[in-house]
Amino acid sequence: MSKRVWNPPVTPTKGDTTTAWRSLGEKEGSESFRNRLDREFPEGDTLTEEEQKLSRRSFTKLMGASSALAGIGLVACRRPETYIVPYKKAPEWIIPGTPLYYASTRPKAGGAVPLVVTTYEGRPTKLEPNPDHPDSSGTCAQTQASVLDLYSPSRSQKILKGGSQATQSELKEALQALDLSKTALVFGEDDSPTRNRLAKGLAGKGATIISYEAVSGEPLQKGISHVVDFSKATRILSLDCDFLGVDPIGNSKEFSKKRQGGNADYSQEGDVDASKMNRLYQVETQFSLTGGMADHRLRVAPSRVAVIAGEIAKAFGVGSFSASDDDKKALFPGAEDAAAEFESWIDECVADLKSAAAGGLVLAGSRQTKEVKQIAAALNEQLGSAAIKVVKTGLGQYGSLADLSAKLEADTITNVVFLTPSNPVFDADSFCEVLGRKAEVTIHWGLRLDATAWACDWHIPAAHYLESWSDARSESGVVSLIQPMIMPLYGGISELDLLHVLGGGDFAKGEFFPAMGEVKTTFAEITGKSDDESWRDALTDGFAEGTSYDPAGEFSVTVPEIKASATPTPNALEIVFATDASLLDGRFIDNAWLQESPDPVTKLTWDNAAQVSPVTAKALGIYDQVIALEPKTSLIGGGEAKVSNRYETGEGEGNHSPMIIVTVNGRQLKVPVLIAYGHADNAITLPVGYGQAADDGREGPHVFDKDQPTVSLVGINTGFNAYHLRTSGTAYFATGGVVKITQEKYPVALTQEHNSMYGRALAREVSTMPLEGKGDFEEQKKKVKKQGMDSHAPPNISLYKPEGSETWSKTELAKKTHLADEIHQWGMAIDLNTCTGCNACLVACQAENNIPVVGKDQVAMGREMHWIRMDRYFASQENPVEHGHVNKDKENPEWVTQNPESIPQPVACVQCEMAPCETVCPVNATIHTEEGLNSMAYNRCIGTRYCANNCPYKARRFNFFDYNKRNPLIKGNLYKGPFGEKKVGEAPHLQRNPNVTVRMRGVMEKCTYCVQRLESAKIKQKQQQKVNTLAAGKKSYDVAVSRTKDLRVKTDSVKTACQDACPTSAISFGNLLENNSRVVRAKGNVLDSVKIIQGSDYKKVEGSPRNYDLLQYINTRPRTSYLARVKNPNDKMPDARYLGQATINIH
Amino acid sequence: MANFFPRWTNLLPLKIAVCLGALGAGVVAGITYYATPKAQRVGYQPTQPIHFDHNLHVSQLGMDCRYCHSFVEHSGHANVPTANTCWNCHQHVKKGSPKLAALRDAMGVDEFHTALMNEDGTPVEGKPIEWVRVHKAPDYVYFNHSAHLNRGVSCKSCHGEVNKMEKVYHAETHSMGWCLDCHRAPEKHLRPLEEVFNLSYDPKIYLQDNEVIDTEGLIVGKGERIEDPEDFGLFLRKHWGVQPKESCATCHR
Repeated sequence: MSKRVWNPPVTPTKGDTTTAWRSLGEKEGSESFRNRLDREFPEGDTLTEEEQKLSRRSFTKLMGASSALAGIGLVACRRPETYIVPYKKAPEWIIPGTPLYYASTRPKAGGAVPLVVTTYEGRPTKLEPNPDHPDSSGTCAQTQASVLDLYSPSRSQKILKGGSQATQSELKEALQALDLSKTALVFGEDDSPTRNRLAKGLAGKGATIISYEAVSGEPLQKGISHVVDFSKATRILSLDCDFLGVDPIGNSKEFSKKRQGGNADYSQEGDVDASKMNRLYQVETQFSLTGGMADHRLRVAPSRVAVIAGEIAKAFGVGSFSASDDDKKALFPGAEDAAAEFESWIDECVADLKSAAAGGLVLAGSRQTKEVKQIAAALNEQLGSAAIKVVKTGLGQYGSLADLSAKLEADTITNVVFLTPSNPVFDADSFCEVLGRKAEVTIHWGLRLDATAWACDWHIPAAHYLESWSDARSESGVVSLIQPMIMPLYGGISELDLLHVLGGGDFAKGEFFPAMGEVKTTFAEITGKSDDESWRDALTDGFAEGTSYDPAGEFSVTVPEIKASATPTPNALEIVFATDASLLDGRFIDNAWLQESPDPVTKLTWDNAAQVSPVTAKALGIYDQVIALEPKTSLIGGGEAKVSNRYETGEGEGNHSPMIIVTVNGRQLKVPVLIAYGHADNAITLPVGYGQAADDGREGPHVFDKDQPTVSLVGINTGFNAYHLRTSGTAYFATGGVVKITQEKYPVALTQEHNSMYGRALAREVSTMPLEGKGDFEEQKKKVKKQGMDSHAPPNISLYKPEGSETWSKTELAKKTHLADEIHQWGMAIDLNTCTGCNACLVACQAENNIPVVGKDQVAMGREMHWIRMDRYFASQENPVEHGHVNKDKENPEWVTQNPESIPQPVACVQCEMAPCETVCPVNATIHTEEGLNSMAYNRCIGTRYCANNCPYKARRFNFFDYNKRNPLIKGNLYKGPFGEKKVGEAPHLQRNPNVTVRMRGVMEKCTYCVQRLESAKIKQKQQQKVNTLAAGKKSYDVAVSRTKDLRVKTDSVKTACQDACPTSAISFGNLLENNSRVVRAKGNVLDSVKIIQGSDYKKVEGSPRNYDLLQYINTRPRTSYLARVKNPNDKMPDARYLGQATINIH
Repeated sequence: MANFFPRWTNLLPLKIAVCLGALGAGVVAGITYYATPKAQRVGYQPTQPIHFDHNLHVSQLGMDCRYCHSFVEHSGHANVPTANTCWNCHQHVKKGSPKLAALRDAMGVDEFHTALMNEDGTPVEGKPIEWVRVHKAPDYVYFNHSAHLNRGVSCKSCHGEVNKMEKVYHAETHSMGWCLDCHRAPEKHLRPLEEVFNLSYDPKIYLQDNEVIDTEGLIVGKGERIEDPEDFGLFLRKHWGVQPKESCATCHR
């Protein structure tokens, strides 16, 4: 019997204008991709290498052994005695079982992240943004994941001298014996007032102070920084600045507010107002998160950014540089008149910026060349931009690593103390050599035993920021305090304590940390308040009020001469050493959450890979290699035959990428290659930080040394070391790269085709500009709900009466409607207009819900456990639209088709009211709650996986193995059953959220809207009854309790983990029965029964017209809905008419 | 040929079948009775490191539950008192009693209550008291004490008459069915908030002493006095909007 095909993918019809895709396989319609779509189960069900090795015989052996063990266990069939061990002396504030929140800060170069830390019985488990802080803007994925580093068993735990353990007193002697006049201290680039003060003190005694981080560019002037206020920026030109991603500048909450055109809180009549929206022009090489949000994006090779900047400056009348014709052609390939298109791009962009005047803003990437930064600064001055301010930071007194190298060479410095979070021996080219040749005493302080730690004479284990006293400046310079949540787990020493010792003080003793005194002193100095009360208030708030950077005063820039280098060609490629979205500069290599979170653009996990544009890939001969090819074998007697239906090349599950050899700066690196849409031609992007050590014999990475491990089980064998190609002169990009193709393949774990919903109108987009055949902005907004299949589908009508059953309904309400609770009905709306796809929600969800890491092999099989799937779609106009219809015979020019738009879409369980998963569960393990959640009873699940098969959103994740208990990072370990190795170390389980079940093997799991948070909010609300009773001064039976007034959780007071973490407020969550909640304002009061429940209080709330349900036509009635993205193109720009149509089909 | 099977063997298969059947029935009956929480849990009465007598402290000395289980109204857990809570009284009361040896160990003092010192002059780190757990909910059950106590369900409903126990034992089954019984009919367990910690509360006497008027006519008619304990429960349920949930996510997350 053939399988019944239900809802075939939407095939493009006459009116379709846009082609959308997630991956190469999908775009090219590769057979492997189609194969995967048609399969009833994902490929994870086929046998892997390990599974094949596990023969029937060994399986029986294992089973026999397990049951024998179980038999032995049965002998002791008694009630196990467990103990309750209370404190001897109760610590203040700790209530067993309730969370305790502290304000703290995560130090970071470019501006610290203000946080509220959730602790349970003294264990920090989760980080949330501090909403009271003036610079608060959600958290990034790295901040969310940093709590895992605290518990990492691979953290350095001993003081080492020459590789063997030393005592603290020996270290103290060594530190205080240092001749400070010949000592350099290398710090990170985060700005900490106390550290600046202590460093200054040490500099006064002769020490040289240096700051270094591997991927932070040099500012125009040391000690000068630009503070951006996006609330004042209406027209933004970003010259290779990924300010929403790896190069954070400004507050992304403010940026997204402007993106909403006055409707950030969804209370504006008529939704997004195009005239209040900002507009973003992005010039960049590889697709970044910012590029995805941009209205106009120009893809250029990294050296060409200066060319664009020069042309822009000329159009502003402050420069005289002109781009060559070659450049113009390269930027607009396939255009009839490339020069005209180019000029119109530049001129219209400049005209738009000029018209905005003080609302104009030009940003330069922090790693771009000095010329680009100077031009940006000059243009802002020219515009009189109100959105940017030049300020004086505390970093002015620090030298650079180049200064240090020079001083080492000149023998004026012989001792070096490394306190930077970067890893200069690994990531700073040739510095290692100078250090080894010249330095006498080297001391390293850090969280990990990395290459620098082993290269140094001394290593000091660092205390994590959640274990230390310190302070840090946030972006606008607000002094934010860092306080310890827990005593150092592994005997780490904090940076300030170490500086205190260097200055002649003592190490921390017991609970007394000298660092606290130092921070308090700085606090008193800065604020002028030395009383304990202000100090306590500041600690409670997490920051010192009224502190920020001082303006820099006079700061003049000159527009430089631009010397354009040669235009890159396929034989002289430009290589970008990109900051990695997960690992940053490599410091997070041992963080499993970040390793497993898919790169926001390439969707690659556990590795890095070279990215090239399709056109360049074709020119280099890589493209055909990447497209899925069936492995064929020659038959005896001629001819070829298909040997298996598994594919070895291409993308997707269990797949491989071809390897190329990149040669630049006279060095070679062999890396796998990925096709990257929207990437500039003739350039290659190589993310840095990977390939720190490997023991599988791969070329490139350093060989893993068991005696001196530089990475843990997490970071070993991940990626390739791009720093190898980088020199100090080519810190951001190098020119003249050459690529050689090899026949080798490398297994890659890409998640982009996993759980594909394929070809339906999932992510939707509209344009503020009138589009041919689609009408103007208002009309497009009205049509959002009717895109794709939803345009044909008749309205959903239930054949059953809407009332609940007379027999089974418990409440009067339930007899009238299907809803059983009249005070809470939860719902969510995700606004694609502000979602950047940054992964913060994905990692926050992992931290909140105890989601395990599964390892590269399992990810490759599509078994990743992330409850939120961050889809990323590309879309472009392949064919021109003529008279409202697509002309399939003509093709758009290459500069249009090769520059697609990108839309991210986070998909978790959408909590269908008519959930297909519930009806198929044979054991009622997934059922609906009274409040509209599709809940999971994990202890009831027997793992049939019927529910996952029946889920149209593919939002369910199955525990194929005991990922939480068995270490998935040891090869083959999961397949050894009870004989496998358990997790390493004692500490990692301490991070777990005690309110969420840790799931075991064979259990299905998925998002439940953080039901643990909802339940605790409701329970807390129940105390209101007691409050009312005490206030009334009556007996409790005389005080009536109103369910709506007293027991309903206060409007928008409970937040899900993803919503809390979101840096752009894209997620609204709340009670659908409250008209004033943000989620109702966003999507309207959509519940069928809301009229019955609200009764006379009922008032229709329209919500945003951009609101739509995913797969609305299948009548699952999801509680999570999405709001379409709005593009705000400048209608005079050459690419304007191709934008804002990233939906698959619009009718 | 001799007759291998004597006559009596004719009935042997039947006898074996009956015996096996009886044995099987016995095993089934045994499991049904003994392998349920009712038999496994009820009556569990482990010996504690200190023989703490609830009867003495509550019924005779009149202490409130919340003196020791101090956070029970605020947290999901009903905390067991920290050693310094006991010490508040017992540094004066029953000084030197051999029964309190474990407490003195925890506080790091000898029987004359002088602080014990290590050889290097630092005070001895006490060893916390390991109380044996009597009531244990499985890991996947997220029972919350405060949710129940703040809505008028007494300690007694789940823990029995602890005030009369010289040695604490497991009084109720704590099986899921037992939980649901109450979630389906909470009126049997509701009492005024003031009486939640009064374990000797008797609704009959309470209704005699207090004039409870059904002002809205929820149960007995407008303005009438409630005298029947059953009506009182139903009244409180309606009056307070008590609507316990029965879906899985209420307790399992």
